[in-house]
Amino acid sequence: MSQAEPTAQRDAGSAASPQGVALGYEPRPDRASERIWIPIGGSHCVPGLSEFRRKSLVSAVLEVDPSPQTRLVLLGVDVDGLRPAGRAALRRRIAYLPADGGLLSNLNAWENIVLPIGFHHPRQLHGVAARVMDLLDGLADDPRALLAKLPERMTPYEKKLTGYVRIALEKPDLVLAEEQQGGLDSAERAAANRFPAAYLARCPGGTYVQLEIASGP
Amino acid sequence: MIGVYREFEGCMKLLGHVLRRLPVLALPPVAESLTRQIYFTGASATAGIVLRGAFIGTFIIAYVIDVLDANAALAIKILVWVVLREIGPLIAAVLVIQRSGTAVTTELALMQISGEVASLRQMRIDPRDYLVVPRVLGIAVSTAALTFFVQVIAVGGGILLSSLSIEASLGELVSEFFVLASPVDFVYAMIKSFLFGAAIALVCCYHGLHPPGTSINAVPKAAINGVTQSTLLVLLLNVVFAYLVFGQVLFGLVTAKL
Repeated sequence: MSQAEPTAQRDAGSAASPQGVALGYEPRPDRASERIWIPIGGSHCVPGLSEFRRKSLVSAVLEVDPSPQTRLVLLGVDVDGLRPAGRAALRRRIAYLPADGGLLSNLNAWENIVLPIGFHHPRQLHGVAARVMDLLDGLADDPRALLAKLPERMTPYEKKLTGYVRIALEKPDLVLAEEQQGGLDSAERAAANRFPAAYLARCPGGTYVQLEIASGP
Repeated sequence: MIGVYREFEGCMKLLGHVLRRLPVLALPPVAESLTRQIYFTGASATAGIVLRGAFIGTFIIAYVIDVLDANAALAIKILVWVVLREIGPLIAAVLVIQRSGTAVTTELALMQISGEVASLRQMRIDPRDYLVVPRVLGIAVSTAALTFFVQVIAVGGGILLSSLSIEASLGELVSEFFVLASPVDFVYAMIKSFLFGAAIALVCCYHGLHPPGTSINAVPKAAINGVTQSTLLVLLLNVVFAYLVFGQVLFGLVTAKL
């Protein structure tokens, strides 16, 4: 996994072409220390984000709509010149994994996992059980027990895992994962560290970006 | 005043969205949500409504016979007018507001405050498609079904009691009923109940998705707004229906020249 270091980012920037960039986010006027410039492919970590910057970044990416003071590049496309249809098409290729998995509390893990598939690709629901078990293989002790659990009975790791399986099923080109290590013990952290590799094994051309929040005030 | 206008506008927009997006009911998660809503609002409320219906039918007949010293024909006439056309839909609507209205508003407000509605957006799912469309249709269908139960039980209970307490046989009362009641009464009550249910669901969903704050205190406030406004809307719709269909409201105080 590579870290998106500020020094490495300085070489890229506002003048750079968006081609080959999975996630580019830079304030205008250009402030090199706040620039995020991540190439397509592989697993990357963006460390030391403040809560405010994390929210701005996630909101800009999910809405495919940066504020006027920001340049946003997603999957090789400069978002500024895009029409709404183009933005919607781009949004379909991006998935977001919140720190708590982003689960619905009245659905069990299985229902949470298949919810987006049922909405966006209902015809794929037939073969989904085998794919879910494949994704859980090696990451959950007892996959069947996990799938029957409601979020209130899950550990923080199980919530993250359920959220991960949900997004991995859709095979997005860009995954934005938030605080993947937070609230986990060492064994769970080791297991959560395998999410990017598991995703990249199934989506070889994909990009997995982990957003780490800065600790302290 | 501006707040009232905004809420009305919000509910109308939500209604427009529901009508436009009815095809999402074919999607498996939405269909499942619709089934759950019908079960919760309709099936699990049946026992309560049966009991209330039986009490009402019996009460109306007992009252008419004892206090008004009426004959069987008048008792049945009142049963048809009051239960079939007015009380049945209203009792079902009140029960739906009590049970499902509060539950829907509270559930959606909690989902909004805890970030679950935002999670749906992050999954590219419009919360109105998944949360509002099945609830509106489920509650509307369930309210119509509950009204039918109230009518059957109240009328059946009333006729049974009449046959025991006045000098008329069960057969006479039943035939009297079929002479007085017409299918139009049932259709009118079903349409009215369906619209009552849809109105209750829309208002409660709107307040659930727009709680007045982001703290946990906003949840009961949203529930109060949902329940009071949906009750008001049901009564308003009832007045509109009475005016449109019978040409009069408020027991004849306002009469239309139809």
